[in-house]
Amino acid sequence: MRTSPGYRIFRIVAIAVLIVVMLMPIFWMVLSSLKNNVQIFDVANAFNFDPSLENYRNVLARSDYVDYIWNSFFVAFMSTAISLVIGVPAAYSMSRFVMRRSALVVLMARIIPGVSLLVPWYYIFSNLRLVGGYSVLILSHMFVALPLIVYIMMGFFDGLPIDLEEAAQVDGLTPIGAFLKVTLPLSVPGLATAAILSFIFSWNNFMFALVLSDAGTKTLPVAIFDFIGYASIDWGGLMAASTVVTLPIMLIALFAQRYVVSGLTAGAVKG
Amino acid sequence: MKHPKGAAIALALTTSLFLAACGGDEGEGDSSGSDTIRVTLANHVWTDTIKEAIPQFEEETGLTVEITQLGEDQLSDQYNVKLNAGSEDLDVMMYRPLQEGKLFATNGWMADLTERVESNADWDWSDFQEGPKSATTHEDTVVGVPIITEREVLYYRKDLLEKSGYDAPPQTLDELKEMALKIKQDNPGTAGFVARTARTAAVTQFSSYLFSYGGDFEVDGQAAVGSDEAIAAYDMYSSLIREAGPENVSTDMGWPDSMAIFQQGQAAFLTEADSLYRNATDPEKSKVAENVGFAPFPEGPAGRRSYNIPSWALGINEGSQNKDNAWKFIEWATSQEQALALQQAGNPSARNSVWENAESTKNDPADLVEASKGSAENGVGHDRPLVTRVAEAREIVGQPIVDGITGKDVAESAQTAQEAFQQFLDSE
Repeated sequence: MRTSPGYRIFRIVAIAVLIVVMLMPIFWMVLSSLKNNVQIFDVANAFNFDPSLENYRNVLARSDYVDYIWNSFFVAFMSTAISLVIGVPAAYSMSRFVMRRSALVVLMARIIPGVSLLVPWYYIFSNLRLVGGYSVLILSHMFVALPLIVYIMMGFFDGLPIDLEEAAQVDGLTPIGAFLKVTLPLSVPGLATAAILSFIFSWNNFMFALVLSDAGTKTLPVAIFDFIGYASIDWGGLMAASTVVTLPIMLIALFAQRYVVSGLTAGAVKG
Repeated sequence: MKHPKGAAIALALTTSLFLAACGGDEGEGDSSGSDTIRVTLANHVWTDTIKEAIPQFEEETGLTVEITQLGEDQLSDQYNVKLNAGSEDLDVMMYRPLQEGKLFATNGWMADLTERVESNADWDWSDFQEGPKSATTHEDTVVGVPIITEREVLYYRKDLLEKSGYDAPPQTLDELKEMALKIKQDNPGTAGFVARTARTAAVTQFSSYLFSYGGDFEVDGQAAVGSDEAIAAYDMYSSLIREAGPENVSTDMGWPDSMAIFQQGQAAFLTEADSLYRNATDPEKSKVAENVGFAPFPEGPAGRRSYNIPSWALGINEGSQNKDNAWKFIEWATSQEQALALQQAGNPSARNSVWENAESTKNDPADLVEASKGSAENGVGHDRPLVTRVAEAREIVGQPIVDGITGKDVAESAQTAQEAFQQFLDSE
C-alpha cells in the first residue's frame, strides 16, 4: 500500500505525541527517583543534577520491602493460577454448551464495584479468622480475576472451530480428551492474555489488600504509602519504590505483549 | 478422566484445602484478654519515635505490641471498614479527633475512657490542655487521649524581609499583606505569600484567619460562613494569594505543594501548621533552610486567634476484647515521661507540664517555640467544622476561598456557601 508523505508525517507526529504523553509520567518517576527532595521540586534544573542511587538504597535496605515484593508476587501468581484452573474449563463449557445465563452471572461479579464488597467481605472473613492471611487476598483477587479469565476465554473458544474437536473425537478421544489435547494447546495466546491481565490486576490492586492484609502480608501498592507521612513526604523514596513496583510488571508485559495482542483479537473474528 | 464430575469435585477439594492451608494466622484471632495488643498507627514522627521505646514497654509489662502502620487516608479507610464490620482486630487506634472523632463516637465505635483517665492521679488527666481535651470528649464522655497538638504560625524568609527594609515579621494581617505585596514587587518572579489553595485542604489553614476576624464556621448550630467577619476573612486569605501569591497559581494546592514553593525559595511568607516546620528547616528538603524564620500567627481585628488543636489522639475500639491492656499501652504512651521524650523528637505535646519544661523544646528553633506559644495563647480548639461528615462540610466552606483566588465575588460566594452549609447542618 502506498501512502502519501502527508499521511506519513501525520502518523509519525501522532505516534510521537502519544508516546510522550504515555511515557512522560514514567520518565518523570524514574528521574525523580534519582534525585533528593530539594531537586525534585526544582523545575528549572529538571535535567541538571547529580543522579544518586540513595533512594533505591533506602528502599531496598528496608528489609521488609523484599517481603512485600514476595507477597505481591505470591498473591498475584496464586490467584491467577487458581482462576485459570477453574475459569478455563468454565469458559469452555459456557462457550460450547451455550450457557448464556451462567455467563451473565459471572459477568455480574465484574459489574459490582469492589468497594461495596469490602465491608461484607471483611465481616465474613474476620469471622472465619482468615483476615491477614494470604488466602483471603488470593480469594478476593480471584473474585476479579475469574470473570476476566472466563470472559476472555469464552470469546476465544467461540472463535475456535468446533470441527477440530469433532475430528479428534472421531479419532477416538473423549470430549475432555479433545479439550485437553486439541483445544487447550490451540488456546495458548488466549491463556497468556488472560493470565497476564489477571496478574497485572492483582499486582496493582490496592483496595482489597489495604483492608484484608496485615503487617505480614502487605502487598507493594499498600507498602508504597509508607513513604507518605502526616507531616513529611519522602518523594524520592516514593518514586524509587514506585519504580521498583512498576519494573517487573513492565518487563512481563513487554515480554508477553505479542500474546496479549493476538489473544485479544483472536475471539473477535469467528473462524 | 472418565468421571468429569469426580474430577471437578477433586479440584474443588484440592483448592479449598490449599486455601485453608495458607490462611496462616492461627491463634492470633482470639484476643480476649490476650497478651498481644494490636495497635494501629499513622505514618508520623510520633510513630517513629514511640516505636523505638516500645520494647521497653514490652519488657516492663510482659505484653506484646503488634503495630500496623498506615498513611492517614488509608488508616481512615481501614477504620471505616473494620469498625463498621464490628471488628475485634483493633485494640488501640491512633485517630484524628477533628476529622473522624465525631463520626466514630456517634457510631459508638469508641470505648468510654472517662473512668480510666480519672482513675490515675499520677498520670494526671488535668495536665492536658483544655482545647485538645474538649476535642477528644464526646457528649461528656472521654473517648481519646490527645497525643500531638498543632497551631498555625507564620513562616517567613529573613533575607527577603531584610532586602525590602523590614527588620521584623508582621504583627497583623494587614501588615502581612502590605509586606507581601512589597516583597513581590521588589523581587520579580518571587511570590510575597503562599498558602494552601485547594478547596478542602485550605479550610484548616483558613480557620485562623476566620477566628482572627471574629468569625467561626458555625455558631450554636447555625451556619456563620456568610457573616461580615467571615467575608472579610475569606477576602483577606484569597486576596493574599491572588495579589501577592505566585503567578498563575493553581487552586489545587495542599500542604506539600505550597510548602514546595516555599522550600524552593519562591515565596516570602507562608501560613501553615507548626508541625510541618522540619520541611522548611531541613537542608535535605529546603533550599532556604538557613533563612527561615517563624512568627506567631498575625493578629486580626479580633486579635490573634490561631487554632490550637490535637491533630492526633489515641482511643480504644469499643469492639476490642482487650481493653484493659489497650489502656495500659495508652497510659504508658501518653505519660509525662514519654510525652517529654516525644516532644524533644519534634511532636508538640498536649500536656502543660511538658510545655513548661524548657528541656522539651531545646532541639527546636527558638523563634518557632515562641511562635507556637504565641499562637497557642487564646487558641481555638478546632480548625474545621465540628460535624460527622467533615469532608463534605469542608467542600462547602472551602468554596469561597477558591472563588476568591480566581477573582470571583467573595461576598456572593460566601452567601451561597452559607445557604448550602445551613442546609448541611440541618441534615446532620
